[in-house]
Amino acid sequence: MREMRMAAALMLSAAVLVSGCDQIKQVTGGSVATVAESEFPERVLWGDTHLHTSNSVDAFGFGVRLGPEEALRFARGEEVTSSTNLKAKLARPLDFLVITDHSEGLGATKALFDAPRMMIRDPQLLRWHDMMHEGPAGSLRATAELLDARAKGTMPLGLQNDADSAKRTKSIWLDHLGIVERYNEPGKFTAFMGFEYTLMDGGNNLHRNLIFRDGKDKVSTVMPASAAGLVAPDKLWDYMDAYEQSTGGKVLAIPHNSNVSNGLMFMLTDPSGGPMSADYARRRAAHEPVVEVTQIKGDSEAHPFLSPNDEFAGFGVAGWELNNLLSTQPKSSDMFAGEYAREALKRGLAIEQRTGVNPYKFGMIGSTDSHTALATGDEDNFFGKHSGNEPSAARATSEQNLGTRKGRFGWNYLAGGYAGVWAKANTRGAIFDAMMRKEVYATTGPRMTVRVFAGWDFTPEVLKGNWVRAGYTRGVPMGGSLSPVKHGIPKLIISALKDPIGANLDRVQVVKGWTDKAGVTREKIFDAVWSNKDKRTRTSGKVPAVGDTVDVATATYKNSIGAASLATVWTDPEFDPALRAFYYVRVIEIPTPSWPAYDAVHYGAKLTPDVRVKQQERAYTSPIWYTPV
Amino acid sequence: MPLRDRAAALLREPLVHFLLAGVVVFALLSGRPADPGERRVKVNEAVVSRLAERWTQTYRRPPSREEIDALIGDYVKGQIYYREALRLGLDRDDEVVMRRLRSKMIWASTSQAETASPADAELQALLNRDPARYTLDPRYTLTQLYLGTDDAPSRTAATGLLAALRQGASPDGMGRPAPVPTRFSSAPASELASLFGDEFAAALRNAPTRSWTGPIGSGLGLHLVRIDRREVPAAPRLADVRQRLENDWRSAAIKRAEDENYRKLLESYDVVIEQPR
Repeated sequence: MREMRMAAALMLSAAVLVSGCDQIKQVTGGSVATVAESEFPERVLWGDTHLHTSNSVDAFGFGVRLGPEEALRFARGEEVTSSTNLKAKLARPLDFLVITDHSEGLGATKALFDAPRMMIRDPQLLRWHDMMHEGPAGSLRATAELLDARAKGTMPLGLQNDADSAKRTKSIWLDHLGIVERYNEPGKFTAFMGFEYTLMDGGNNLHRNLIFRDGKDKVSTVMPASAAGLVAPDKLWDYMDAYEQSTGGKVLAIPHNSNVSNGLMFMLTDPSGGPMSADYARRRAAHEPVVEVTQIKGDSEAHPFLSPNDEFAGFGVAGWELNNLLSTQPKSSDMFAGEYAREALKRGLAIEQRTGVNPYKFGMIGSTDSHTALATGDEDNFFGKHSGNEPSAARATSEQNLGTRKGRFGWNYLAGGYAGVWAKANTRGAIFDAMMRKEVYATTGPRMTVRVFAGWDFTPEVLKGNWVRAGYTRGVPMGGSLSPVKHGIPKLIISALKDPIGANLDRVQVVKGWTDKAGVTREKIFDAVWSNKDKRTRTSGKVPAVGDTVDVATATYKNSIGAASLATVWTDPEFDPALRAFYYVRVIEIPTPSWPAYDAVHYGAKLTPDVRVKQQERAYTSPIWYTPV
Repeated sequence: MPLRDRAAALLREPLVHFLLAGVVVFALLSGRPADPGERRVKVNEAVVSRLAERWTQTYRRPPSREEIDALIGDYVKGQIYYREALRLGLDRDDEVVMRRLRSKMIWASTSQAETASPADAELQALLNRDPARYTLDPRYTLTQLYLGTDDAPSRTAATGLLAALRQGASPDGMGRPAPVPTRFSSAPASELASLFGDEFAAALRNAPTRSWTGPIGSGLGLHLVRIDRREVPAAPRLADVRQRLENDWRSAAIKRAEDENYRKLLESYDVVIEQPR
């Protein structure tokens, strides 16, 4: 066995020396897999970059007993038994998974749960230990108190980063990396190493997920960074730089839930309130190439307050627009601008105009942030935010006081999102590289396929030939930057396809943001191509609604409206070559039932009138930027 | 098995040794007599300093003489109540006690299996038992043309295009633009299922090769397909699927250890279940 590994390692180093970049050899558990990268990304890969297991302090406290191994098995498409004893299997496997347990107190709750009672010295910990052993209700209460203590900075020493917990963290981290390595199968299923850095300012969410490009040999040389030690994003970037310098590896960070940061995630200034320097902006853009804009705890694409002319803005904002993550501070409307991705992309243009660098030049993905170890993203398989609200009749209307006081309700949680990645192969390297070049997009769960290219010379005829090759050779894909040409007007090749087991598409929109001559940021939404065009004529600039086939009583819908595929070559009708701009594509599905509607049918849940029973799910591509000479 | 043999068999179990050793160590460490029924409460130095430490951590100062006396008094009270409660059987049917002891038992029975590693013969046996689970997907080299939603116009178009293709027309530029590949080279069936839906992948299994066929239905609508090569994989070999086998072996071993331990325990019990009518 050892000899085989040695041989594999030798072959690997030889391969690295002699091969070009189109072939990747990866060692997994003693065998060498050769996975070829295609010339261009050919098919989209689906994954979840944000999943918690029993190693997360809060997930364990909320009742999850499944660890990383079960999480990986489930994501690969195998059947597992949930923490509440329900059999669970994904209808379709995922292509990749990143388990991102909270680095702070990694495994601490489980350790606290497992500890012999006599050995616990801290009275607060002892109390939590007892509450957890009382059963699910006590466990939920203990975890809520624990999160609250973290927000207030009153965490007992025993759960902070002292020598004991450092030792525990190390052992859990190494075990975890070992499991991830065993389940990584290049070409078939990619298991990434990563963790969540849970930075909180009061109860304001500044969390980031870290994803490593590398295997255990490199990643095991560092411990996961804790927000208890690194108290600001730039400290996290220092950690990332140090990792890359010492190992020659690569790591990226993905911010999420800007919607509960109370305006702090996408500030116009630097964190201290001073003007953002070019250097700070450059570091942010380099370390955080992608933002998770949709997940269970709401959607952060656009808010009606910021985008009053966008009739599709406001998806998944109910409940989350009240206050910050831990409900320690109410939200005022001046905070929204620092919370929503579209506004951040616009702010990025304004900062670039001033400093020459765009800190918010990011791509967009969705993920689950599930705390059940189950990466479920669909309305009809929603397993709950955490194991305290796995399927049951009461969960949609019950209060979800994460931490404290002010009420969010079960139905405010979305079923989750997924990340679509245009990678050249299903390997750590290829997927990571696609994230770095932002060739990724977000969906609120359905696996619709979307491609977009921007260029100067595309005509509608391009769609009759090999438009993908044309896109890559004569233009740039999503996430790219369009270089200026003389007398050109940007043209976008857009092609969208429904989820093969999901709903038809209503329309495809182009969202444009720019800074005008006075330096003020603007946005406009264009309906680029839509379904049932013969029956839907654009009046005063708007395409009428697609209709609605949802039957709430049975939680069903019909694909008798909408279209299976939509494609077009779109030309910007208002292009001004002197102004910096970005374009991203939003694909909207026809209305479908929400998870509370499925709960009503399956569990006889009684829903109150305010509960969301249907919605139009969607995909957001990463933008393409235009910068004048 | 007579009770005595069963007891003897149990005594030979390494697990039982382990558990007994654990009980002894725990009793020693916690400074508690092995027999909780014993009517003697000894508060040794270790216990006193732990009580004092816990106090210091909360109040950031050491306890005074009276305070430490009170803590010791409370400890003694706890011990006496604990023992009397056991004597009275108050631990029985207590959910908290049961849950706690259950998780300790499971942890003790599975901790060894987590670190064990399998011999090749064991992996081979696992493979032989369920070769289908480890069989690799069939692979296809094919061209597909997407015609849009399954409706009358698409079906009519399909007939015309199929005739043209069979007479040697080039597929380039035919079909609707869609963000999925037209040509696949040695693509596994699972990948095609994920892009087009299960029914499409299933239909390919018996479709003719080296000629245009269709329309074939998918989750997206209708397609015309030409399969140039269908590779049916050979039976999986140990070396190809070692990692998956090892993963399955280990998680099965953990489950087996727990089940086996439980089964042995269960054997020594009569379980009577009375279903409500």
